[in-house]
Amino acid sequence: MREELVWLDEEVRRPTNPLQASLEFVGALGLLLFASGRALLQGRIEVRETLHQMAFIGAASAPIVALTSAFTGAVVTLYSASLLVDVGGGGFVGGAIALAMTRELAPILTGIMVTARCGSAIAAQLGTMKITEQVDALRALAVSPIQYLVIPRVLAALAMFPLLCMIANFSGVGGGWVVANAFGISANSFLQSIRLLTEPFDLIGGLIKTLVFALIVTLVSCQQGLGTRGGAAGVGHATTRAVVLSMVLIFAANYFLADLLFATR
Amino acid sequence: MSKTPALETRQLVYAVDGKTILKGIDLRVEYGEVVGIMGASGSGKTTLLKCLCGLLKPTGGEVWVEGVNIAPLSERERMPMRLRLGIVFQYAALFDFLTVYQNVAFGLERHRRLSQQQIRAIVRERLEWVGLENVEHLYPSQLSGGMRKRVGLARALAMDPHIVLFDEPTSGLDPVNAYQIDRLITRLNRELNLTAVVVSHDVVSLMRTTHHIAMVDAGQIIAEGTPDAIRHSEHPKVQAFLKMASAEAL
Ligand SMILES: Nc1ncnc2c1ncn2[C@@H]1O[C@H](COP(=O)(O)OP(=O)(O)OP(=O)(O)O)[C@@H](O)[C@H]1O
Ligand SMILES: [Mg+2]
Repeated sequence: MREELVWLDEEVRRPTNPLQASLEFVGALGLLLFASGRALLQGRIEVRETLHQMAFIGAASAPIVALTSAFTGAVVTLYSASLLVDVGGGGFVGGAIALAMTRELAPILTGIMVTARCGSAIAAQLGTMKITEQVDALRALAVSPIQYLVIPRVLAALAMFPLLCMIANFSGVGGGWVVANAFGISANSFLQSIRLLTEPFDLIGGLIKTLVFALIVTLVSCQQGLGTRGGAAGVGHATTRAVVLSMVLIFAANYFLADLLFATR
Repeated sequence: MSKTPALETRQLVYAVDGKTILKGIDLRVEYGEVVGIMGASGSGKTTLLKCLCGLLKPTGGEVWVEGVNIAPLSERERMPMRLRLGIVFQYAALFDFLTVYQNVAFGLERHRRLSQQQIRAIVRERLEWVGLENVEHLYPSQLSGGMRKRVGLARALAMDPHIVLFDEPTSGLDPVNAYQIDRLITRLNRELNLTAVVVSHDVVSLMRTTHHIAMVDAGQIIAEGTPDAIRHSEHPKVQAFLKMASAEAL
């Protein structure tokens, strides 16, 4: 398998139509996934770089993930409470928001926020390294860009996404709680309904989703970054494409994962 | 058949975007030899160096490194050979997120079983070779262009490669530092029997440091030989190049 196809320029044919372009994109992603898997099994792990990336992806994203989920939890509660309280279903609000957060909102918000925050940064950094020959310098020092650049980011994302998703769960439900309070729903009945309506798998399923999102964001961003051509404009294109493609793939994957994990429940 | 050369290309062709940059290069570099490559800007010198060290995959022809044709090899199969071959990039290509120390120590930390002290000693020595001190803790963005270039040189020399490819090691340096680098290349060649390929615009420095010079023009070698032979070459393009260069030197 030829991992260098991800970054070598001369082997990249200019795609002539969108279908060919998307096929090549999928091919490159698959190649990168395969090469990363193999490198992970065979080579040493760059521990320092991985920790560095964990701090970058995790710590740096935590505040925005918490904030956006708190507001999302609040707004969902606003709608559901105003409906349910009228028909005497105030006791279901807590469960509804917890279910919505754990299964859908927390994972997808985590995915989107990290894509915006880190996917763009990864593509920009790797793109800059590519056009300033730093990727070539790595190779010249007999260090594989997959080993040194891709794997630490993938591992860091795999470790941090579930954590961020948990943060999103707590702040989303917390945000909901505040709004529910304003609607006169007691803390007790809020918690009671969470216990009644959700089960552990709602949480676990959501966390499983984030693992897939983690792979999508890091692989797409690394692939776009390493495939950068041209100067600063090339880096700009790569960054934009990394964000757009990651988001689209996250939403698509989310649908299929929901079908797979929750549809039969 | 004579003994294996350190580097050899046979009918090396490199094309990208439908443009042929190298059009059949035959170059031979013996062990312990310093070979100079000169040529106008855009003639394909950097591309040739990158093919020699396997960073670019040739479109056609063969590239032999220490007796192995690396042209058909995959990236993974080329990795071991890179441990014996260093390259100094034209624009230094330092890792901008690492300090000077970490840049120079990069290969050592990954490929050699050395203690931190041993690595520190090697890094300090290589930086001394290129005339730098007290810069270990700085980031590349805090250095001048010439300093970056010299750190790139130190990084390439850190792993004690047998063969080093220098892409314009002295361009952008002041005359004193440029002379020091020339001296360094000569010294490494004499004392450690380093094989070197030096790409340069600086004809005077090439004449001084090399055993053999090839002149590249539009992706082809149009003249080659000892510095003296090149100096007396009758090829009009070589003549023009030398004339302009000596005019510049005045
Ligand atoms: N990735 C690429 N895509 C398209 N053309 C390229 C690419 N890389 C190099 N070229 C072209 O190849 C030619 C040779 O480039 P190269 O960098 O090897 O020149 P050079 O001899 O090193 O020049 P200089 O002395 O200015 O460094 C140039 O005309 C350049 O336009
Ligand atoms: Mg060049």
